[in-house]
Amino acid sequence: MNRKNFLQSAAVLAAATGFPATGKAFNTGDRHRPVRIPPYLKKGDLIGITSPAGYLKAEDIQSAVAGLKEWGYETRIGDTIGRRDYSFGGTDEERLADFQRMLDDPSVKAILCARGGYGAVRIIDRLDWKAFHKHPKWIIGFSDITVFHSHLNRVIDVASIHSKMCSGFPEDWSKAEPIQVDTILSLKKAIEGEQMKYEFAAAEGNRPGVAEGILVGGNLRTLETLTGSASDIHTEGKILFVEDVGEYLYSIDRMFWNLDRSGKLAKLKGLVVGGFRVKPPSDPEEEFGRTIQQIVLEKTGKYKFPVCFDFPVGHQKNNFALKCGVRHRLEVKDGLCSLTEIR
Amino acid sequence: MITTPPYLQPGDLIGIVCPAGYMAKEKVAECIRVLEEEWGYRVRIGKTVGSASETYFSGTAEERLTDLQEMMDDPEVKTILCGRGGYGMTHLVDQLNFKKFRKQPKWIVGYSDITLLHTHLYSNYYISSLHAPMAGAFNDAGYINRYVQSLRQALEGKWARYTAEAHELNRTGEAVAELVGGNLALLAHGIGTDSELKTRGRILFIEDIGEYLYNVDRMMYQLKRAGKLKNLAGLIIGGFSDMKDTERPFGEDVYTIIDNIVKEYDYPVCYDFPVSHTERNYALKIGVGYKLKVTKSKVTLEE
Repeated sequence: MNRKNFLQSAAVLAAATGFPATGKAFNTGDRHRPVRIPPYLKKGDLIGITSPAGYLKAEDIQSAVAGLKEWGYETRIGDTIGRRDYSFGGTDEERLADFQRMLDDPSVKAILCARGGYGAVRIIDRLDWKAFHKHPKWIIGFSDITVFHSHLNRVIDVASIHSKMCSGFPEDWSKAEPIQVDTILSLKKAIEGEQMKYEFAAAEGNRPGVAEGILVGGNLRTLETLTGSASDIHTEGKILFVEDVGEYLYSIDRMFWNLDRSGKLAKLKGLVVGGFRVKPPSDPEEEFGRTIQQIVLEKTGKYKFPVCFDFPVGHQKNNFALKCGVRHRLEVKDGLCSLTEIR
Repeated sequence: MITTPPYLQPGDLIGIVCPAGYMAKEKVAECIRVLEEEWGYRVRIGKTVGSASETYFSGTAEERLTDLQEMMDDPEVKTILCGRGGYGMTHLVDQLNFKKFRKQPKWIVGYSDITLLHTHLYSNYYISSLHAPMAGAFNDAGYINRYVQSLRQALEGKWARYTAEAHELNRTGEAVAELVGGNLALLAHGIGTDSELKTRGRILFIEDIGEYLYNVDRMMYQLKRAGKLKNLAGLIIGGFSDMKDTERPFGEDVYTIIDNIVKEYDYPVCYDFPVSHTERNYALKIGVGYKLKVTKSKVTLEE
């Protein structure tokens, strides 16, 4: 199916289903408070590495430690690195204490989460953000770390960085694929305060338009499971990006319905759809029969904001750093699209 | 006061629809036979049952919406039995028109994906519905078992009294309150929407199937953080069948996961109650008052 036909059929789908904009106003009415940008890093600054969610071995962070050193940073390895409580990087208490120390220590200028997995939600309500409020610092990671990005967006009003984590650093830079080098260097640019600008090819299903707003988002499933909680993401007037991995298409459909029904799409400025590596149905008879594009356009058909697909963010090689909580300009066009940080 | 739809009389018409996943006609045949020949009702089959749909769904969203809406609006139809769950109720629930249904409420029967409709009805219109076995459960002589029979009794208006075995994690106590609940994934999915579940002062029951253990943990955290667990009168944990684990094991079984999250509360809790995706699935009336009694030796749930 060529792009034109696809767009037509998607529009027909949206028109035929005739879903009105019914999203409940749960997600509106928040004050638009200013978001604080933590200080960017300078050579010699200390970066703390901790694991608030899943377990990983001490040797799994060595490439990251070496890479950060190469960039001129010191690292502090948290107690949770190499610690294990089944799937977690230590017990809740251990992960909480390690993260809290990183938040509280003024000499730590950024917190790099070692990996995602699952577990951030188990400690988020017990963290004390007092010292962090006085001395905000960059919190870096993605996947389960979306809990922090969403919480910072909703409650703390401090920007953070959605990016690859420790395993994203190449073991041997000379042998690394260019995409791995580029994506990891995008993290370096982000923490050092360079203006972020990504240009990417137009994808099937894109809905053209231009939008400006604060960028928020992360892992879709994690965002859905934060709905109704203190960390529920606030999207009104913002550009939302989402990605996911290993979910069934029906489940992705249900998550986009949750976004809409909880009022998170109605007042968006723009939607950036990253990588969605889906899981095939366990029973081939249960083929869902819709693409990601169709799933998204069905829910967004009644709104006007620009939508783009295949943005290089997600559980994949081309996962570039994004500054959450920072204003961006999204341009979705027939040719090259772009997402640019506004200074 | 909760509105309970009228119970059925012999000869009443039961409409069968598939508001979510596709279901072949032959899978509904035994249910129709039993409803007509053994239970004494008449049956009307909706267009979504054994439809020509070739997708995952029993029809397009409009087809499924229209079928369910017609059954809800037709005064002839006294009860709506869902053929099966699957996935798809979330497409319909905001589009349904409850005007006629509120004037002439009828029992809507189902579980799993149908949880969303139960919760929607209860939270918005305060109308009771039946969390119970669906058409597929009648097959392979399933209609003889006590669980499908409990649906029959519920439709006839007989008051239910269920007992279950004690479980080592049970927390004893007694609660008298309205019963709400259903499939955990759908309850979590409804949070933040018009179909959000109300749990304060109620007895909550949950069940699920095929989820990763970490995901059950995450959904329970969502319920907890959304304030759905702290002010319960009681908690009934049903079956959590076919649980999956990650390569690095979670390290706890599903009931321990739940126990860890709710142990700070002091209401009665029982585990492995017969409400689940297996045949052990008693009919439960959403919104109706029940007495839950958890003792060291057994559990009773009585209307």
